[in-house]
Amino acid sequence: MSIYSASSEETLRARKLLSAWFGDGLLTKDQYDLLETETLSELRTTNIFLRLVLFLFTLVSVGAAAGLFFAVFLSRSSDQPAGVFFLIFGVICYAAAELVVSRFRLYRYGIEEALAVCSIVFLCVGMHAAFFGNRSYSSEDAAQSLIPAAGVVLSLWIWRRFGFSYAFLAAMIFVVFLPGYWISSLAVEHVMVAALYAIGLADVVAVRSRHRLDYLDERYSLVESMLWFGIYLAINLQVSRLDFRMQASGGSWTAPEFGRPFYWITWVLIWCLPPMVLTRGIRQKDRFVIVAGAIMAVLTFVSNKPYLGWTRHSWDPMLLGILLTGVAIFIRRWLDRGAEGIRYGITAVRLSGKDQRWLNAVASAAGLLSPQVPAPQPSDTDFHFGGGSSGGGGAGGDF
Amino acid sequence: MTILTRLEQWKEQGKISSEQFAHLAGLSRQEPFSLFLELNILLYAGVLAFIGGLGWTVTTWSQQLGDVLVLTVLSSILGASFWYCFSRAPAWSAAEMATPSTIVNSPIFDYVLYLGALVWSLELAYLENRFHVLSGQWDLYLLATAGLYFFLAYRFDNRFVLSLALSSLAGWFGFKISHWYGSEWAADPDAPYRQYALLYCLVVGISGVLLQRRGLKPHFFGTYLNVVANVLFWAVLSGVFNLHGYGVWFLALLIACGASLAWGLTRQQFAFVAYAAMYGYVGLSSLFLRGVRDDTTIMFYFVVSGVAMLVLLVQVGRRFGRKA
Repeated sequence: MSIYSASSEETLRARKLLSAWFGDGLLTKDQYDLLETETLSELRTTNIFLRLVLFLFTLVSVGAAAGLFFAVFLSRSSDQPAGVFFLIFGVICYAAAELVVSRFRLYRYGIEEALAVCSIVFLCVGMHAAFFGNRSYSSEDAAQSLIPAAGVVLSLWIWRRFGFSYAFLAAMIFVVFLPGYWISSLAVEHVMVAALYAIGLADVVAVRSRHRLDYLDERYSLVESMLWFGIYLAINLQVSRLDFRMQASGGSWTAPEFGRPFYWITWVLIWCLPPMVLTRGIRQKDRFVIVAGAIMAVLTFVSNKPYLGWTRHSWDPMLLGILLTGVAIFIRRWLDRGAEGIRYGITAVRLSGKDQRWLNAVASAAGLLSPQVPAPQPSDTDFHFGGGSSGGGGAGGDF
Repeated sequence: MTILTRLEQWKEQGKISSEQFAHLAGLSRQEPFSLFLELNILLYAGVLAFIGGLGWTVTTWSQQLGDVLVLTVLSSILGASFWYCFSRAPAWSAAEMATPSTIVNSPIFDYVLYLGALVWSLELAYLENRFHVLSGQWDLYLLATAGLYFFLAYRFDNRFVLSLALSSLAGWFGFKISHWYGSEWAADPDAPYRQYALLYCLVVGISGVLLQRRGLKPHFFGTYLNVVANVLFWAVLSGVFNLHGYGVWFLALLIACGASLAWGLTRQQFAFVAYAAMYGYVGLSSLFLRGVRDDTTIMFYFVVSGVAMLVLLVQVGRRFGRKA
């Protein structure tokens, strides 16, 4: 089903690992040069920066081409012909993505990715214009659920065919819109979304066990973590139904809107899910699942007070900070005390130069975005001191 | 063929030793599995959450708590953080050091320093707001803070604090503008910002080059260069967007793009190629589309220019960009 052969992808993976090992000094230059010749791949790759720029310019070109077509030929047309042409554009974009991969062997090159993304967008816009153009959006019109359903199908297909993980994320986002067309109960909507994600998770977990040591493991790992996180968001009523006006006024979602038993079951579940996911991640030594579990745990702490209807205090973030730091120090010290700094096959020691490079990049970016010396406030009699939001300029925000 | 099969083959063919095979096969199977990055990010998130809560608490409760208590708490945290760092830091070296965390066997060293740096900012803000020690001359605070951060960054080889220093210095330049902003700039309100952005680029860029040439933490040069490149491009682009006198800025943009492209390609730092492509395209597009109102022409321009950029970048990618 994949457009790339397994051997090509394995070869690319081997090439990447060789490069990382050479960078870490685990292979000599002679060894690297020799082994590199054995991992030549016919796939054409590029670096992350060119990939991003190519992606962007492909989006610009395709979007402008569609716009030009409509400006020249369909400026006075009604919705239906426009919708049909959007669908045709979708087909053309998808065919172009297939073509550039099969003809030029592009792999994560930006161009084929943007074409695939455009095909999803054109499909959804085209379906809406062609079939429902004269109807306004209504969650009670079940037929309109065909649009997100088509989005799910095409996104999943593109994920399977090209391996783009963000296509899977797009499919998950389309799933969120589906239940709203079929049912009116908010609680059932949440349950349905969680159930659909759970079905996906069961499939991924079942398939993944066969690929623990090959190139597909990382891809399934990312998808599994997204599904766990999706289930958590569907269950956590405080996070998934963030109403900013309500948050600003200090309010939160309460039991009566969902039914008391459902509300409290979800509260229990948001406490059960993070440890479960973290345990699975650690047992499987799965980085993405561990990260998903950790983020879920933090979100549980953050959303617990609104769940219970308790008042937030200004020192809550301090307590959270102390907890996070304490947990990190405890785990690190505990691992360091194991034989050779390893316990149960896990270590806190850096094993790859890639980790340090990531950390350096995060450090440089994070420093620039950190809160700093606050900006001055206009002098007033009431004591109130302001703060910068980011960067040294700290342009006039408050804490 | 999985990587493990390949490793076995290479061992049998004598291309790698048995020790190398054992080590590399272990790494491929994630044995052991490293939580280094995750634990560091957890520490960073912890410090940020703590400092956010501290700032919020001081803002909300300072009147009830009183100046003495607030300043005592902030000074205690500040003193403890800096004492911890200075008492445990390894001897200074001009070259890149293995992270102090590793040398002093303290997983939290970098984050204690980061906490101290942020608490310093918070305490300064509190002091000035309450006591107006420098009569509202915030630019001096920012300059002093930038100076302290640069010292700490170079003393402890810390990129977090270096980034804080660079943004504090940018803040100082920003405040200078707000002080000197006068009626002469009314016709072009962006002009003073642009000039100080360029001056900032000049100061930071030259400092970065000099420090690198003198061998003082030469690995920081990349951070300097990225910050300078982005500030420079923004400043020059804002000039290109001007209604009048944009020709000079456009020329400056072309020169900056050429330099960025050349640097990126010769040094294999493709972020600079991306900067040149993106900022250059935005500047060029603003020039071409100036005064154009016709949708068809605008779309036609984007189709042609987009495809041209794609062709150009593919050629660059084929020639230079294969390595990740």
